Amino acid sequence: MERRTFLKTFLKNKLAVIGFLGVLLIALSGLFAPFIALYPTGYGTEILEPPSAKHWFGTDGLGLDVFAEVIWGARTSLYVSLMAVLVAAVIGIPAGLISGYKKGIIGSIIDAVIDIFLTLPVLPLMIVIAAIVGSSINNVAIVIGLFSWPSLARVTRNSTMKISEMQFIEAARCVGIPSRTILFKHILLNIAGPVLVNLTLVMATAVLSESSLSFLGLGDPTTWSWGTILKKAWDAGAVIDTPNPWWWWFFTSFSIMLYVICFNLLGNGINDALNPKTRE
Amino acid sequence: MLKYMIRRGLKGLLTIFVSITITFFIIRLMPADPVSLLVDPKMGPEVQEAMMKQFGLDKPLIEQYFIFIKEAMAGNLGVSFKTRQPVVEVIMQRLPWTMLLLTITVAFSLLIGIPLGMLAAKKRNLFFDKLISTLVVVGISMFIPFLSFGLLYIFAYMLKLFPTGGAYTPPPGEGFAYYLDVARHVALPALTLVISNVGTIILYTRNGMVDVLKEDYIRTAYSKGWNDKYVIRTHALKNALIPTITVTGLMIGTMVGGAVMTETVYAWPGIGRLIYDSVSALDYPVLQGAFLVLAIAVVIMNILTDLAVAWLDPRIKLGG
Repeated sequence: MERRTFLKTFLKNKLAVIGFLGVLLIALSGLFAPFIALYPTGYGTEILEPPSAKHWFGTDGLGLDVFAEVIWGARTSLYVSLMAVLVAAVIGIPAGLISGYKKGIIGSIIDAVIDIFLTLPVLPLMIVIAAIVGSSINNVAIVIGLFSWPSLARVTRNSTMKISEMQFIEAARCVGIPSRTILFKHILLNIAGPVLVNLTLVMATAVLSESSLSFLGLGDPTTWSWGTILKKAWDAGAVIDTPNPWWWWFFTSFSIMLYVICFNLLGNGINDALNPKTRE
Repeated sequence: MLKYMIRRGLKGLLTIFVSITITFFIIRLMPADPVSLLVDPKMGPEVQEAMMKQFGLDKPLIEQYFIFIKEAMAGNLGVSFKTRQPVVEVIMQRLPWTMLLLTITVAFSLLIGIPLGMLAAKKRNLFFDKLISTLVVVGISMFIPFLSFGLLYIFAYMLKLFPTGGAYTPPPGEGFAYYLDVARHVALPALTLVISNVGTIILYTRNGMVDVLKEDYIRTAYSKGWNDKYVIRTHALKNALIPTITVTGLMIGTMVGGAVMTETVYAWPGIGRLIYDSVSALDYPVLQGAFLVLAIAVVIMNILTDLAVAWLDPRIKLGG
């Protein structure tokens, strides 16, 4: 795939560009959170103020600035989803490569494990495990990663199977290049596209899982995360009680949606740009 | 066919077995001591020991596991730590509510999703198709609490059309009034699940239809001079819906437990909410029972899906 054609197709796809810009925006606000807003802590005097020039997203039940909470929450979400992707990649990519390349017992065993993991009830199990391992941000990230690798392994496996039948792999084998080099150099480079697409999708689902867990009270109570903000708003009755501080939950959940949609659009965009013909 | 059924059934049993084995040991890793919740601290150590014995918690873990499997096969899932009710009873109280929510969700998702997906396929790459694809991405990305909060804010808080949670207004009424009450309670959770699931149905129907419309036999049908409606209804639809049916089966299987978020926000008394409540109460037996139900649901749905697909597409031979 020519790099220039890839960029050209990608840039022509408006939704993909929107997705990319959104991801960039979230990444920058998470990265530079300390320069954008003060870490929200303690109590404020202006309780449940609606959005204004001073407090863009209003203030919460403790008088803290919701905008600052959302920005610091972006940092947590980015960190957790990156960690989860890392865990998923470390397990999923080798598992997929090996099971796709090696036919025989090892391949079948890995394949069966992937199958079983895909039928497990993910969210209920995550809830149980998060309750076991305790609510530190790293634990939550690892738990999410441990449940995200099967889909990645499946994609890697299918792509590997296609590539391993090609002649250049056979040639490499005949020359006597060791399997490890073939797998992690020749094959991995050629399936980087679909793997990358799946990684962006894992980023998206990881943040949904993280927000869900912290909304259920299984997140890290010492850091700001989007799910934690929503839990506080929900517990305070901010959704259905009168008076109704809608800004408390609206901007936060909107950020979650923005994050997930942008990563999905980015993934779709990369996918389309990699396979211009199959877009139909 | 019979051979296929036996093989499929065995594979299903194996999946259930592996699944409950994994969940059994995961649940037992929970740190806190359930006995401390069971026994009043004022009671002496003898009472605590007797209690441990009564619930079989004094035996080694591996022995507890074999007892659990043996009893489960006899249909006995133990007694809830929290309510002292038999677990089977606890689950049977929750299961109908989950099934109700599930049935309504799936029915409406299919009723809305299949026509929209077909329309998008027919107008592929036109504005309508692109609009639908974008909406599908939004639907798939949906964060359940956001959607629920929005719906609650509009329909329960501002318009006061629907209640904010629960499955009925206690005490439950009788006859028609009761059904109407339940219908009003199920509306918002069902709408939440329909909005977050219909996108998948649309996407699979659209892609299935686009693939089928490219086939030779469809071109042949058109070249015989038949009109759109006839070709789609008699030739394309059956094959185009195969991916939709597969994904619906998967959806139902996972939704039995996957509706945790929806059931929690709307205080819906289903299996998902039961799991969430049991985690905070360290109610091992109920959790094990709930996970068993989830595993069975997934396996049954997989088998039903395979049968439905084989029935729709005679090219797939179940014997092999």
